[in-house]
Amino acid sequence: MMLDFLHQIPTAFLFFGAAFIVMLLPQGNIRNIALLGAPVIAAIQVWTLGMGEFYTIPFFGFDLELMRLDSLSRIFVLIFCLAAFLGNLFAWHLRDTVQQVSALAYAGSAIGAALSGDMIALFFYWEATAIASVFLIWARRTEGSYWTGMRYLIIQIASGVILIAGVAFYYHDTGSIEFDKMELNSIATWLIFLSFGMKCAFPLLHNWLQDSYPAATITGTVILSAFTTKLAVYALARGFAGTEILIYIGTIMALFPIFFAEIENDLRRVLAYSLNNQLGFMVVGVGIGTELALNGTASHAFAHILYKALLFMSVGAVMFRTGTSKASELGGLYKTMPKTAIFCLIGAASISAFPLFSGFITKSLTLSAVAKEHYTYIWLALVFASAGVLSHSGIKIPFFTFFAHDSGKRPKEAPFHMLLAMGLTAFLCIFIGVFPNFLYSILPYEVNYQPYTMEHIAGQLQLLLFALLAFAIIYRRGLHPPEIRAVNLDSDVIYRKLIPSIFVYFAFIVSSCFVSINKLSKSIFSDLVSKLNHSHGPDSSRAASWPAGAMVISIAALLGLSLFVIFFS
Amino acid sequence: MKKIKDSSADYPKLGKLISWVDKPGSNQKIFYILILLCTASFGLEWTYEKHAYFEIESYKGFYAFYGFIVFSVLIFIATLLRKIVKVRENFYLEKSIDSESYPDDQIQRIDHDA
Repeated sequence: MMLDFLHQIPTAFLFFGAAFIVMLLPQGNIRNIALLGAPVIAAIQVWTLGMGEFYTIPFFGFDLELMRLDSLSRIFVLIFCLAAFLGNLFAWHLRDTVQQVSALAYAGSAIGAALSGDMIALFFYWEATAIASVFLIWARRTEGSYWTGMRYLIIQIASGVILIAGVAFYYHDTGSIEFDKMELNSIATWLIFLSFGMKCAFPLLHNWLQDSYPAATITGTVILSAFTTKLAVYALARGFAGTEILIYIGTIMALFPIFFAEIENDLRRVLAYSLNNQLGFMVVGVGIGTELALNGTASHAFAHILYKALLFMSVGAVMFRTGTSKASELGGLYKTMPKTAIFCLIGAASISAFPLFSGFITKSLTLSAVAKEHYTYIWLALVFASAGVLSHSGIKIPFFTFFAHDSGKRPKEAPFHMLLAMGLTAFLCIFIGVFPNFLYSILPYEVNYQPYTMEHIAGQLQLLLFALLAFAIIYRRGLHPPEIRAVNLDSDVIYRKLIPSIFVYFAFIVSSCFVSINKLSKSIFSDLVSKLNHSHGPDSSRAASWPAGAMVISIAALLGLSLFVIFFS
Repeated sequence: MKKIKDSSADYPKLGKLISWVDKPGSNQKIFYILILLCTASFGLEWTYEKHAYFEIESYKGFYAFYGFIVFSVLIFIATLLRKIVKVRENFYLEKSIDSESYPDDQIQRIDHDA
């Protein structure tokens, strides 16, 4: 009975309703239970609903499909619910209504977008994710976060505007707004593709990610890391599976962030670069487009949300206790935060794809799909990127936070609710790694793949262990780039510094020209006036010879002229 | 240099257990264990038959060599990259969070023995 009632409500509305109720509840355990309850109820609803299209509403002559539940959308919705639950558990201590409401509205919007069967509903939810999530950045309540939030919002809203422009063209071309597989053969689909690419942090469209995630609150970043980019991966998988250009875009995405992550000092920005790199693997999977590859993308997104959240949680817990996430100021924290250190190591092992951890059973699907399609160089590049993942997320994050040089900081272990959230997430990372069939059973297509063969295990262990050996040798010899307080320029310097400084320079030139011309014209004009005054003015020699009636005649002529003009106008 | 008041007796049990890694000689031991593990993983190559998709993958120890080399190349390129892109922490001034501290009222900065 209760379940029947639940099935009548679109999942996104459950979250929006919960967000409204949360505002009315007093701060404390009751409100926190509501924050945890909403994703649980939503997950139960989606799990029990079955496949199909369940909720259509008319909208200006269109039918908006708000609940398209199939094997592709279901896995994304389930992991979004799980991420919202774990994120809210991690934020149990929070007494900030803005962040609590924002987290629920954001999760609901992302889920709504994943369940949209048409592109108008998708657009509404797409923009809602942007608006809801920016408060997680602004909630830091500093000037830096305000400006960062503005940059984030501009890019996210722009993505939505481009999407609706693409949808309008698409409707004009095809007469349909259905959100399904498209071909990149018209301005409409290119615009939609670009819009998805902005949220997916394609190369050169990626800067918002590394700019904004480290600027959000400690708990906000954990929430942010789960939704926007994975929603974009879902949208690409839905709309552009098998589009070859995605293979090359994804490969560049997997490669270039690993270099930046290696030299970045802010560990939350390292994780943002790492997130970008992981998205690359998923995008390659979408580009390959086979059933194996799409399973790889979906499972990777599922596992990635968990281990990335775990890593953001562990760095967040450190930040909660020390006030910083800068590698140059951390180190040696395992002594007093050993549990957080162990959870971080589990996250690091998962993202590095060590056997028995979640990354291993998901990333190998994508790599096998690439190999099966005989993309040799792409495969080599992705294996390179895998070693890169070990470098920045597997080694750098845990090593420079909890080990390496002793920072002298002796913070207390993270609060219980943070440990619980990290513990649950870590458990899931291992559970998925040890029992892959659980995750494989909810993938979009049937899985006929065995990750635990001796060949896979030995190959992966060799890759990781020898990369670790390289690190050990490089570090012992003092050749590893040291952790220093600095910022590294990325391509966003173009719109954050270069273009504004060109504008300032241009404005300076224009204003200088204006002032000079003004000065020149003034001097010419005043010279002319003084000369005329000298020759025709009241004190001039000519004025003495003018009759007194000349002025009366002039005025009469002027009045006559005025009458003439008024009469004919 | 900041003097560290080390009261390891008060550390959590788990912290004391892991502190083995900081003992003199542990560093070397970890390195040898790693070499041992590398050798073992290399040795595994002879326990199964490879079904390589690419010719390069079929060579014995491909992943070992590739892992070692690409990791070294990555560090080398990243070091060079830093020379090009590194700027001072307050480069973007107040329009970025890089040089501002995290608000104290949003965290609980507590020492372990407090």
